[in-house]
Amino acid sequence: MIMLLMVSFIAIIILSLKVSDKLDKISGLKEEVVKLKGSLEEMDEQAKLIVRTDMELNRAQEDLDKKITGLYSLQRLSRAISTTLEENQIFQLIASHHLEELGFEKACAFLWDSSGKQFGLSMHIGYTQEEGEAINLTLNSQKEKFLGLIENEKSMSSVSKHEHTESVEKQILYIFKVTSFVLSPVLPKEGDKGLLFVGTDNSEITLNEGDEELITILANQLGQALENARLFDKTWRSQQGLEKKVEERTRALSSALADLEAVSRRKSDFISSVSHELRTPLTSIKGYAAILLAGKLGDIPKDIRERLDKINRHSDELVHMVNDLLDIARIESGKMIMKKEPLSLLEIAEKIADLLSVQLKEKHIVLSVEIPDKTITVTADRSQIERVFINLVGNALKFTPEKGKITIAARKIDSGTEIDITDTGCGIPEVALRAIFEEFYRVDNAINQEVKGTGLGLALAKQIVEAHGGKIWVRSTLGSGSTFSFNIPKEV
Amino acid sequence: MSINVGLGISTSRIPIEAAKDAVTRALINIRSTKVDLAIVFSSMEFAQPAVLRTIQDISEATQVIGSSSLAVIYEKNVEKHAIAVLLINFPETIYFGSACINEVSLKSGVRSGEELGDKLLFGFKNIRKNLALVFSDGLKAQGSDLIHGLQERLGMSFPLAGASSSDNLAFKKTYQYYGSEAASDSACAVLLGGKFNFGLGIKHGWKPLGKPRFATRASGNMLYEIDGKPAVNIYREYLSFDLTRLKKDLRKISTLYPIGIFIPGEKEYLLRNTLAIENNEALLCQGNIPEGSMIRLMIGTKNFCLEAARAAAQEAKNSLAGKNINFVLVFDSVSRYILLGRRAKEELAIVKEYFKDVPVLGIYTYGEQASLQSVDYQGKAYFHNQSIIVLAAGG
Repeated sequence: MIMLLMVSFIAIIILSLKVSDKLDKISGLKEEVVKLKGSLEEMDEQAKLIVRTDMELNRAQEDLDKKITGLYSLQRLSRAISTTLEENQIFQLIASHHLEELGFEKACAFLWDSSGKQFGLSMHIGYTQEEGEAINLTLNSQKEKFLGLIENEKSMSSVSKHEHTESVEKQILYIFKVTSFVLSPVLPKEGDKGLLFVGTDNSEITLNEGDEELITILANQLGQALENARLFDKTWRSQQGLEKKVEERTRALSSALADLEAVSRRKSDFISSVSHELRTPLTSIKGYAAILLAGKLGDIPKDIRERLDKINRHSDELVHMVNDLLDIARIESGKMIMKKEPLSLLEIAEKIADLLSVQLKEKHIVLSVEIPDKTITVTADRSQIERVFINLVGNALKFTPEKGKITIAARKIDSGTEIDITDTGCGIPEVALRAIFEEFYRVDNAINQEVKGTGLGLALAKQIVEAHGGKIWVRSTLGSGSTFSFNIPKEV
Repeated sequence: MSINVGLGISTSRIPIEAAKDAVTRALINIRSTKVDLAIVFSSMEFAQPAVLRTIQDISEATQVIGSSSLAVIYEKNVEKHAIAVLLINFPETIYFGSACINEVSLKSGVRSGEELGDKLLFGFKNIRKNLALVFSDGLKAQGSDLIHGLQERLGMSFPLAGASSSDNLAFKKTYQYYGSEAASDSACAVLLGGKFNFGLGIKHGWKPLGKPRFATRASGNMLYEIDGKPAVNIYREYLSFDLTRLKKDLRKISTLYPIGIFIPGEKEYLLRNTLAIENNEALLCQGNIPEGSMIRLMIGTKNFCLEAARAAAQEAKNSLAGKNINFVLVFDSVSRYILLGRRAKEELAIVKEYFKDVPVLGIYTYGEQASLQSVDYQGKAYFHNQSIIVLAAGG
């Protein structure tokens, strides 16, 4: 019995110890659970911090993404806008995908017509034509308000909070049927200004200052593009006007030239026919005068002889003038046949010197020929070139006083040959230098008053030189002498 | 004989012209004169009967099916204004049937699903069935029930891949295409059988954060209480926002931090977006939450999303190891598009990496439906949120 009791007692103690142990373990585990729970709560708190931070980061990321996308879109749009010079195409460059990238679905552009005193709809996206026109109508019914926005030169939006604009903001939301918007003035420096509206009816989207800024930049770009387009148009129109004027002027000048050429032709024809008509009676007059002077019709008294000499001399002068006129007329009308051949200028100069030797000797004038050798040649019509030399040297002889000097010089130049006839004569006044090659022109000086001349010599020389493709000109100093020069180009 | 496909897309702004353009391109690419099925995905402006009629007339497809979307996924691109047509010619060894039911929200989701299932099964007697492809209205809350009803008829373990139509984030109206009808509040489906092979991958990439909690009171897609407290408290605690702020930013909050339901045996939690905060501070979710399930707040990042896309594509491809792949469909959650932002194309490029020479077509969705992997769930399909489904098919 006692053994049983003792065993039971021992069993109870062992059980109690085991239970106590278990209870301790349970208590330990409970503590662990509490600790774990505490750790879990701590981790959960950290998780909350992570979520809140992540939320902020996401918002920032979203804003950044939106800005970047918007900027890319703005860049592409700006590039397209800046290269357009047609005013009515500028707003059409804004497409719905640009708008979406900027975060909007609806847009309208209005231009103020200062002559019609109303807004015109230039572009609409996200609205039908009818809706766009209805909006335009409403805008015009409150145009002062919207003109005020242009005058302020500031954008407004459902984000920006300006004074006195809350009612305007509500109206805009109502008119355009959106939940957020940006309205920006389009301000070209010259001409009519406008408004750019963009908006969205997605209430999930919230705008910020960055959105307003982007649209303001876009509106500025549009303003700049309008300015450029208008300037280009103005310049182009000016240019067109100028071109038209030039064209008209050219036409007028061509007509005048044609008239002048007709007159010139008629003049040449007149001179030619008159000269031909004059030649025949002149030949008769000369002929009869010569017969009478030769005494073939009997002796004639001295005073009659003197008069007959005069008749002969004057007839010669007339014949000379008529021949010159005929030559000029023939050259002008292109009827003169040039027989061109290589000519030695030295030979021609020597011939002329010989021809005028008597007159040169009478006035004790030295004629110097400065032509190195026979290699200085021209390809020309012999008789015509000799005429030129005769006329120029003849003039030099006439206007050089006694004991003076006349020089004939010639030299090769790149394009041909150049000839100078220089004298130490009375010279030509500057005012006469241009007109001196005109027909019938005679310088007003003492020699011309005394010595008769036709005024055709230099004109004929000019015609002959120009018919050979050359030019003739004069340099002169009054009282010192003159140099008449002409060139004959190489024959191609 | 294998499946022939032709894929075409058009971004023309004139709907009928775009339809003609897209279907013509697809016809050029398909090496067959007979078209059995035309799958049409488009952005909202193309959701018109005239457009579908044009496609049907030109392709002479036996059946046209499809959905509206925020954007069309075409190869590795995202096209926000486009219509795409995938024309499919099946060999004689592959069978298909199609059906559509309307006014889903007027009946119960389960009944609608059952009705759809019955219609699909008609004509499929004694034929091996392989996969059901379903398009439903993403704005209606009966998504989970619809799937449940469909499984009642097709089989609880029957493979299912589905997409809930989306719109352009207006959350106003979506469209499901069937024949020349573009209807809302509908569900249309294609049942494929015979020698049809497919590989399915579904992943989301969101990770659990914070301590586990329990849905102490829930019914259908309404979560009333978490750990005995009003369900909205989970967001109050983690974000430290008041109710007004929570309601205002709900869509963003729900996208970034959805609720995850622990599914034993599954690698990933099943996500639930919150559609609304009710007056009694309960959360109306986009999909059912079983009462008593363990839930956690989930957190997502862009990189997690991209890794998930890779895992889904890999899974789909592995399932078809050694078999012919003729086309790939991608059902990608709109939430991922929003989260990824400018990197959305990267996700599609990752998928395309796995299917270089195969046409890839897809849509952005307001919900996805697919089976779970876990043996415990025996292939039962669930309504998913914020996931990417990659369905590779061949025959």
